Amino acid sequence: MNHLALPTVSYAALAPILFLLLGGVALMVLSALSRRPLAAGTVTGYSVLIGFGALISALAEYGHVNGAGPSSTVASAIAVDGFSAAIAVTVSVVVILASLLSHGYLRRMQIDAPAYHVLALTSASGAIIMAAANDLVVLFLGLEILSIALYVLAALNRRSAKSEEAALKYFILGGFSSAIFLFGIAFTYGATGSTNLQVITRTLGEGVAAKPGLLLAGLGLLLVGFFFKVAAVPFHLWTPDVYEGAPTPVTGFMAAAAKVGGFAALLRVLLTAMPQLSTNWTPVVYSVAVATLIGGAVLMVVQRDAKRMLAYSSINHAGFLLVGIVAATSAGISADLFYLFTYSVTALATFGIVTMLAGPRDDDAGIDRLSGLARRHPAIGAAMAILLLAQAGVPFTTGFIAKFSVIEAVVGHGSIPLAIIAMASAAVAVFAYLRLVATLYRTEDIATVDLGYDDSLTDGPAAFAIGLSVVVTIFFGIFPAALLDFGRTAVAHLLP
Amino acid sequence: MSIPLSWFIILATLLFGIGAFGVLVRRNVLVMFMCVELMLNAANLALVAFARSLNDVGGETTVFFVLVVAAAEVVVGLGIVVAIFRRRHSAVADELSEMGG
Amino acid sequence: MNAYLPVFILMIVGILFAGLSFVASGLLAPRKKPTAAKLAPYECGIVPEREPPQRFPVRFYLVAMIFIVFDIEIVFMYPFAVVFRQLALFGFLEVAAFSVVLFAALLYLVSNGALSWGPAVILTRGMPSRTSESTITRISATKSTDGQAA
Repeated sequence: MNHLALPTVSYAALAPILFLLLGGVALMVLSALSRRPLAAGTVTGYSVLIGFGALISALAEYGHVNGAGPSSTVASAIAVDGFSAAIAVTVSVVVILASLLSHGYLRRMQIDAPAYHVLALTSASGAIIMAAANDLVVLFLGLEILSIALYVLAALNRRSAKSEEAALKYFILGGFSSAIFLFGIAFTYGATGSTNLQVITRTLGEGVAAKPGLLLAGLGLLLVGFFFKVAAVPFHLWTPDVYEGAPTPVTGFMAAAAKVGGFAALLRVLLTAMPQLSTNWTPVVYSVAVATLIGGAVLMVVQRDAKRMLAYSSINHAGFLLVGIVAATSAGISADLFYLFTYSVTALATFGIVTMLAGPRDDDAGIDRLSGLARRHPAIGAAMAILLLAQAGVPFTTGFIAKFSVIEAVVGHGSIPLAIIAMASAAVAVFAYLRLVATLYRTEDIATVDLGYDDSLTDGPAAFAIGLSVVVTIFFGIFPAALLDFGRTAVAHLLP
Repeated sequence: MSIPLSWFIILATLLFGIGAFGVLVRRNVLVMFMCVELMLNAANLALVAFARSLNDVGGETTVFFVLVVAAAEVVVGLGIVVAIFRRRHSAVADELSEMGG
Repeated sequence: MNAYLPVFILMIVGILFAGLSFVASGLLAPRKKPTAAKLAPYECGIVPEREPPQRFPVRFYLVAMIFIVFDIEIVFMYPFAVVFRQLALFGFLEVAAFSVVLFAALLYLVSNGALSWGPAVILTRGMPSRTSESTITRISATKSTDGQAA
């Protein structure tokens, strides 16, 4: 009987993933075993607790890596480094905020609360797996865990035909892009002989890739798969429809978690596994970044629906994140980490406010519904205005610091034209955001018919989460040093 | 006499192309699912062929995971289609144009 | 530039294939799209006002879907069974954890009634019972309300 080398598993390093995944499974079992449906408040509280558990274990992992340096576990399939810990922190914060934001919505729409929370926790664990994956196969599994749960989440609102339609569109295009991604993995495996990122980069460093055509085809397919997932132009066509149709809290969660997971994996694959191929992928990422910046900003201006507008806004943000990848320096990666965290918080809270306004059936998020909001409900209107201004990149908000550090990184790399395009795109986007802010403060049609959202505005947990996000957005906008240092330290401990 | 690796790769690429083409042009949702499955299985074929030529078991174990993922994906997709079908008795993607996409 | 040659060839082959498929389907497909009258079911000259009701047993789909998920998990059990002894306690615990998660899913399904195989109580709930009067109402109903009832 020959001996098998068994992998060592560091469960402490996997703790954020295990917290979310096992928390989800335990909630599923609890809801199955309880005689009456679990109370919505209990489920939300449980989900927030699980999120806090994941957050604390992610911070512990971060502290551990700071002392002991980066390593890998489970037969070097999972990276234990500052980068994955920082993404785990971001995703945990997303889970906490998303659970709070969805509480009132699930009750109003009579959606099975445990189902939503189980799927959200599972999906979030997929995002962390993507960020921590040190092997293309694990990366693929993380991607699928993230996406499959999101397909179901998008279909959760059974009252709206749009929800099912959005789920179907997301499913077909998501499956399509996953298949492209998998084919890319197969080609990369064929060209380098391994799916492990370290082995791939070692093979590329030795210059023994015997099949350069195969390798480039693999790289191209991987990139297309990633661009689909992070909604970069021209692979963005599904985004507005899916964002519009999905239940609004789910849209917020999707905008945050899927982007975080997708960009974390893209950063790791391009910058740690394939830096030798940067002469090949930089032009591609560069041109996609330009298209995404311009396309997102220009199309955002012409939208008449708040959710569609925010969808294009998220596409525009994806363009900025791609700029950080073009920079390809540690400054670029840490700028992207900062961007991902602050974008997730503001986007979630913005969609949280749209949830309150989207009507009793959650099927109308026209911009005119926001008209005069700040006059009727000054607090919520002001929060919305601050969040929109933060997304626009106005100084003293996190959005400004995020955009500034990304542009600074790409200027440091020497791509001045891209920096100029990014700034121009930000200027166009500012116009769209400001127009929405002006709509909030419009006075003339305050006295129009009842829009049916006064009830949903008195949603305690959601209001708390939105308030928290606004505080975070302003606090780290004025004192960004701590968060920027957090990102820099994380990147300094990136598994090479 | 064994079949050279390139034949497998060409076959896998053709299958993948057929699948991708089908997703883009066919309008029946169930046929589109089948095309996505075809693409995944083309990737499986490529993985196994590479694993054979590299004499490495990694590619073959990957196929197990892909099979399970594909099954999970199909189940979720069928669930969505069943939900839609109960609502409107059709499975044609063109009719799903409420949002003009 | 030489390195890109296979990629270009792949791309050209792909484009050619796509183009040829269009040409082939253009040549082989029926010339004209069938008119609405041709597609309509023949009902002795009466113009059908609504789609014929279709039997759509969701239950079978549900069981089939659940079957696919649980059936495919066996691909992890088979390799495990082959090297069961070499994997020792570690492998056993990992597979046990996997089975526990799988069992949790089964528990959820049973509690949701996905496997209760009896008269379709849940499905008929909310649909009016069928009397001669209701049948007449249903036939004269417009298409949109009919869709909601289904």
